[in-house]
Amino acid sequence: MPREVEPSLNEKQFFAKALQENIRLDGRALDQFRALELDFGDEYGVADVKLGKTRVHTHITAEVTTPFPDRPFDGIFTITTELSPMTSPSIELNRPSETETLLSRLLEKTIRRSGALDTESLCLIGGSKCWSIRADVHVLSHDGNLVDASSIAVIAALQHFRKPDTSTEGEQVTVYTVREREPVPLSLLHFPLCVTFSFYGEGLLGKGGEEEGEAVLVDANLMEEQLREGSVTVGINRHGEVCQIAKLGGLPVDAVALLNCVKVAGVKVKELSKFIAGRLEADAKKRDKGGLMAELRADNDRVS
Amino acid sequence: MPLDTSTYSLALLRLDGRRWNELRRLTAQISTQAAADGSSYLEMGNTKVICTVTGPLEAKSTSGNRSGGDRADVQVSIRIAGFSGVDRKRRGRGDKRTQEMQTTIANAFSQSLFTHLYPHSTITLSLHILSQDGSLLAALLNASTLALIDAGIPMRDYICACTAGSTSSYSSNDEKADPLLDLNNMEEQELPFLTVATLGDTDDVSVLVMETRVQIGRLEGMLAVGVDGCKQVREILDQVVRKRGTKILEGSQL
Amino acid sequence: MAITILAPAPTVPYQTRNDADDDDENGGVDLEGDSDMRPSKRARRGKDIVTPGETVTDDPQWMRGHGTYIAPSSTEIIATVAGTVQKTNKLLSVRPLRARYTPEIGDLVVGRIIEVQSKRWRVDVGAPVLAGLPLSAINLPGGILRKRTETDELQIRTFFSEGDLLVAEVQSLYQDGSASLHTRSLKYGKLRNGVFISVSGTGGGGGVVRARRQVWTIDTDHGGGKVDVILGVNGYIWISKHVEVAGGDTAITRIEENVSSTIYSSQNDEIPAETRREIARIRGVITLLVEEGLRVDEDMVMRGYEAAVMVDDENPGESTTYLGGDMGKRVLEMLSGT
Repeated sequence: MPREVEPSLNEKQFFAKALQENIRLDGRALDQFRALELDFGDEYGVADVKLGKTRVHTHITAEVTTPFPDRPFDGIFTITTELSPMTSPSIELNRPSETETLLSRLLEKTIRRSGALDTESLCLIGGSKCWSIRADVHVLSHDGNLVDASSIAVIAALQHFRKPDTSTEGEQVTVYTVREREPVPLSLLHFPLCVTFSFYGEGLLGKGGEEEGEAVLVDANLMEEQLREGSVTVGINRHGEVCQIAKLGGLPVDAVALLNCVKVAGVKVKELSKFIAGRLEADAKKRDKGGLMAELRADNDRVS
Repeated sequence: MPLDTSTYSLALLRLDGRRWNELRRLTAQISTQAAADGSSYLEMGNTKVICTVTGPLEAKSTSGNRSGGDRADVQVSIRIAGFSGVDRKRRGRGDKRTQEMQTTIANAFSQSLFTHLYPHSTITLSLHILSQDGSLLAALLNASTLALIDAGIPMRDYICACTAGSTSSYSSNDEKADPLLDLNNMEEQELPFLTVATLGDTDDVSVLVMETRVQIGRLEGMLAVGVDGCKQVREILDQVVRKRGTKILEGSQL
Repeated sequence: MAITILAPAPTVPYQTRNDADDDDENGGVDLEGDSDMRPSKRARRGKDIVTPGETVTDDPQWMRGHGTYIAPSSTEIIATVAGTVQKTNKLLSVRPLRARYTPEIGDLVVGRIIEVQSKRWRVDVGAPVLAGLPLSAINLPGGILRKRTETDELQIRTFFSEGDLLVAEVQSLYQDGSASLHTRSLKYGKLRNGVFISVSGTGGGGGVVRARRQVWTIDTDHGGGKVDVILGVNGYIWISKHVEVAGGDTAITRIEENVSSTIYSSQNDEIPAETRREIARIRGVITLLVEEGLRVDEDMVMRGYEAAVMVDDENPGESTTYLGGDMGKRVLEMLSGT
């Protein structure tokens, strides 16, 4: 297995020196996200997020299964993550790396455990039939901050997804195809997103004479991620409800600074949510040409 | 079984009779295992864990050492005993929650220990959970700290952890909600809570994990109570170390 | 950080001098310590324990030694291990209550060969990293002054192979704290005819401490003959039957030649049952001392052995070397003089 290439000492020094003067190597402000792009596929529930050079593809699928026996009135919602060798040669197939484990845990905690998707609405017949919604997160290119990009992709894809409409008569469930009935969107309760902060302390910046030996960055790229000494990921929705906080060891950071991070995350999430909503609206406009009636109008172009 | 929190507002006493700012009984022993370089046994209420430390030892093969070898690698393995919980569920080693805790503990201690004093070697922490009743990650972190002190591995300061919760549910934004210190299993099931670990007496937070939804306004109070609880925990752990130290010195006096 | 190499500990305690400069130069530090590694005979009641994160002093006149660090942008010296404060002139260090062995130059250690490489052995001495024993640092058969040849390199396993025990001295230390050993003395070399005990955790409490004599011979009772005891500073101990060096007074080179044929032998000599029993008794005494957290040195082992023999003689019936339960208690009582 080829090892991950670590930044050289020279790069490290250059980066540290720049950071001491509050400059990031790509010219962003310390609390600025990279250019975010969000595209939807032709199918419902396909989202492609580009955050700088990081690219994450998410696909939502739905099928009818039997619910878990201990939760007969709840549907099933799973998020699976996949990091393949195409992302980085240091990643092996069939052996979850630490990055992947943490990524899937964070998505799980932020989106699934916080109850973003109303699983009760996925139940068709209590104890025997329910929808199983599965979100497959594929990382296509890794240039840092996978967690934030993945959370955006999953939330956008969930909002974009339409599941086939159903009707229940007694014990009989009918699933209608797209041609029979317009598919219905999922019932989402809130839209949590992750914002990751990277901390740099005296280990990298050196023992500065002054007190301000610490720097905090938002949306770190791969090199910034490799050099960081600690990080905190905050999952928060636009209503200011914190869904999870994960500071898994690393550089000790003052409690007040952490609270500050949470506040900043709240602001960032509002911006991100607005962006996602805008993109969804544009996509809906593109798809909807006035509904079925407009499609059947006589003045449409004839298909030759 | 839903936790009945309605009585709390009447007497301001929790289910087990504690007030909001009271820790459970925290007892610990160190040097419990003769075979290990350092070991500890810690009880936080009914949560019981054993920690053994081996090392620093030379790494078996150079390929296993990721950090390039100029500092010691901290490795953590957690075993949850089948009888530790209410339902006897077998957790495989691949369990992601356990893996996350392992990563957390390893990352926390590789920052607080002076790992650069032991190049190309490994410090192995082995944690066994005998009984779980909430505050699991906090108990693991505290036990690890004690075992590492017993092993004589230099560290910046104690890493002390505890949990803090809030009596409000996530949806209501009531200002009356009290923060709670050191939650037990039943409270953890029902209330929003966070695990916080600080470095020694400072306010510097090394680990902060929250897995439940809570209003942003509640967070500050919870964190403040948690950090304060960590200082109480440090005091207790320090007493354990001192008592042990005095005993050792008296023993060698003969 | 570079490893600070301490000067070798003095062989005799010089308490008087130490007490004198305790008075005026403390600089606000509440401490009381010896600079030597020998446990002091004075009462340790007043000795304070410091724990990690505790500020030892904020006086800038002190230099930071092992077990301490200086917080950034301050002059405070903070302890990093739990232990007792020690000062050597202006050097302030904290000796941990218990820790793995840290090699120092001149230490007598007992080790075990873990790995054989082309020109050196890797030896487990209980330190964080394995120690090295270069081929050039051993006595080669056929005289001390012989040059190392390629044949020796090829036959490296005939001297020591994996699992062999040896006694050696720490010759030098590398940057990373690992030790380089040598066995270039007749006192050192391969170990046989005896039993090995590991006493882990040296430090402020029990275990082996650096002492005047680490190796001595006991004239045992009950017809056991002479028994050698080697107390490795690293907590590894070797107890074996005493073997008379052949030749006695002949010239040093002669001894070399005589010994060389057997020095790397792995074959044990014939050991009579009486000797074996006395070896077991000494081993019992040492484990007893360790269990009670007492220091293990020549004085204690000798006193413990005498006490054990006396206790054994008092008991009617079959002689036993077992030192658990009541027997152990009796020995300890005799040791503490009550």
